[in-house]
Amino acid sequence: MSDLFTPTAEWRRLPDRYAVVRRLGALLYNVATTIVVTLGVGLFVDWAWAAAAAAAGLAWTTWRVVRAGRWVRSFGYAEREQDLLITHGLWHKQLTAIPYGRMLSVTVESGPIDRVWGFARVELVTASAQSGGSIPGLTASEAAALRDRLITAGEAQALPL
Amino acid sequence: MSEPAATLPPDGPPPGQKLTERPHPLTPFIRGWIVLLAVAFSFGRDYLPIGQEPRPLPPLEWIVAGVAAIAAISGAVGFVSWRFTRFVIDADELRIDTGALFRRSVRIAFDKVQSIDVVQPFAARMFGLAELQIDVGSSERSKLRYLQRGRAYALRDYLLARARGVQAEAVAHAPTDSLLVDLGADDEVLVRVSPQTLVLAAVTSHEFFGIVALGVVSAVAGLVFRQPWVLFALAIPTISMLFGFTVRRVAGQFNYTLSRRAHGLRVSRGLTSLTSQSLPPRRIQAVQLSQSPVWRRLGLYRIDIEVIGWGAVTDDENKTGVSTILMPAGTIEQVRVALGAIWPRADFESVELHRAPSRARWLHPLAQPFLRWGHDDRLVVSRHGWLVRRWQLVPHARVQSVRITQGPASRRLGLADLEFHTAGAQIDAHAAGLDAGQVLQRQAELLRLVHHLPGRDLSEPDPLPAGDGDGAANGGDDQAAGPETLRADQAEETISSTE
Repeated sequence: MSDLFTPTAEWRRLPDRYAVVRRLGALLYNVATTIVVTLGVGLFVDWAWAAAAAAAGLAWTTWRVVRAGRWVRSFGYAEREQDLLITHGLWHKQLTAIPYGRMLSVTVESGPIDRVWGFARVELVTASAQSGGSIPGLTASEAAALRDRLITAGEAQALPL
Repeated sequence: MSEPAATLPPDGPPPGQKLTERPHPLTPFIRGWIVLLAVAFSFGRDYLPIGQEPRPLPPLEWIVAGVAAIAAISGAVGFVSWRFTRFVIDADELRIDTGALFRRSVRIAFDKVQSIDVVQPFAARMFGLAELQIDVGSSERSKLRYLQRGRAYALRDYLLARARGVQAEAVAHAPTDSLLVDLGADDEVLVRVSPQTLVLAAVTSHEFFGIVALGVVSAVAGLVFRQPWVLFALAIPTISMLFGFTVRRVAGQFNYTLSRRAHGLRVSRGLTSLTSQSLPPRRIQAVQLSQSPVWRRLGLYRIDIEVIGWGAVTDDENKTGVSTILMPAGTIEQVRVALGAIWPRADFESVELHRAPSRARWLHPLAQPFLRWGHDDRLVVSRHGWLVRRWQLVPHARVQSVRITQGPASRRLGLADLEFHTAGAQIDAHAAGLDAGQVLQRQAELLRLVHHLPGRDLSEPDPLPAGDGDGAANGGDDQAAGPETLRADQAEETISSTE
């Protein structure tokens, strides 16, 4: 397949299991936010508005939980010869190309929910805060291997800043 | 290069044997004066009956005693801080020691100095003093205040020369006669903007009309709701905002001069506080030209730059006196000169630009006729904006990543946008409304250019004649790698000869 956001390359996708992590993360974050906002509105304004806030919060949560699976399927990355391609997004699709030579560092991180399922996130850090070269949903060994490959490629092809 | 650095023992001599300098003895008075002004200002505001009921005044003796106490305390603090501040700038090192209780000694490697600014606040200026700010690329700048103006300029010139790897004697600064500019006899003036142009540019800028429009809209709303007193309540703040905006713009950029001297480019500007800022072209990531609606008739442009390590500087300037405005207002000829000075190897006007397809009108109804983008082997150029027109120039050598984005509406129309990410988020460089069918190919072209940069960086001027000292001695292929490599080589040489 080759369309605008998946040009010909060896694309790697995230495992479907990662959608579970994303759902759980969205659920916890959204429910916590909703509770805080609802209590805040209820205590300082009016409980009728608080109910509206809670309803909106729940709708938003449901939306995110339902979409998580599709978002995970939309995510892909490809290691090309000279650059890393990352694509994701459902409505606002994007395809980012980061030359390995622009690498400043590579970080691997995994949060508490990630760790329960054994996932880690690898980020290719450039001098730009907008690059967003972050790949979630990798297993620990995949993440370490990807990190080493990125570092090697980045050092071999370093471009002047 | 000669090696006085190499003859030193690795630890450096014990402190005390070396000739150290103190800032000018008037320093505590000037710093105390600034505190006093701030106090007077904040108290004065309470005493003047503006807007609200004046507060009951405490007895006069109290006020005098309070002010005297504040002045005495700040004077004492200033004196102690001055007494314990020493610095060394000589052939071997650049070191600043400060602090009475917590002693602190900062030593800066000469080749890490990125730029040096000489700032003269109003009070310091009256006594012919100046503050030296040393930028090493981190967010915190080392400051030396206050030095005699001539001494500050001489040290600045010396440090900039050393930063370029030239082992120079401290150059005597060619004396400047004028208080308003920082120009030596050997400086080449590239661009100068007259105060008249600044005033004209300020009162015709879109920010100015924005404030007017805000006032008018509120006034109309007041009339509609039959509250005529609103007119008076609005007129005064609107006029004072307009006045304040114009004064800030004009005073901040007063006597704006871009000049070139042996060791780089320099911008000097300011009416009440004169700032002289050195400009490191290699660290400029992106450039934006912009044009307010009326400026199109006047043929004026403004240039903003994005520089690594300067952080997000707002429209005017930050508290250290740094401004990311390369040129506050100027004609297209001045734009050419300024851009030619920072990027001598690029020409933005010769870049072939592509129009946006006419269906982009649905997404950018007003800007579509103006949308253009294109690139040559040095620069990406993107034009957009409807009310305020913007030209964004990003060199391939500074592009960190390239992103294609497409929203739902763009997808329907078969359009896509390109983003060019640079270090620094101030100029959000992007090209809008591209044909989706070709955008992948464009991205691939841009990436290829990032990977195959020409040998010389676009900020480097043509090679100097041999023997000019500025790295030309290295010659050959080494030179193509630019000053960074040169400095690294020299640093290695210094280390090895020290051992």
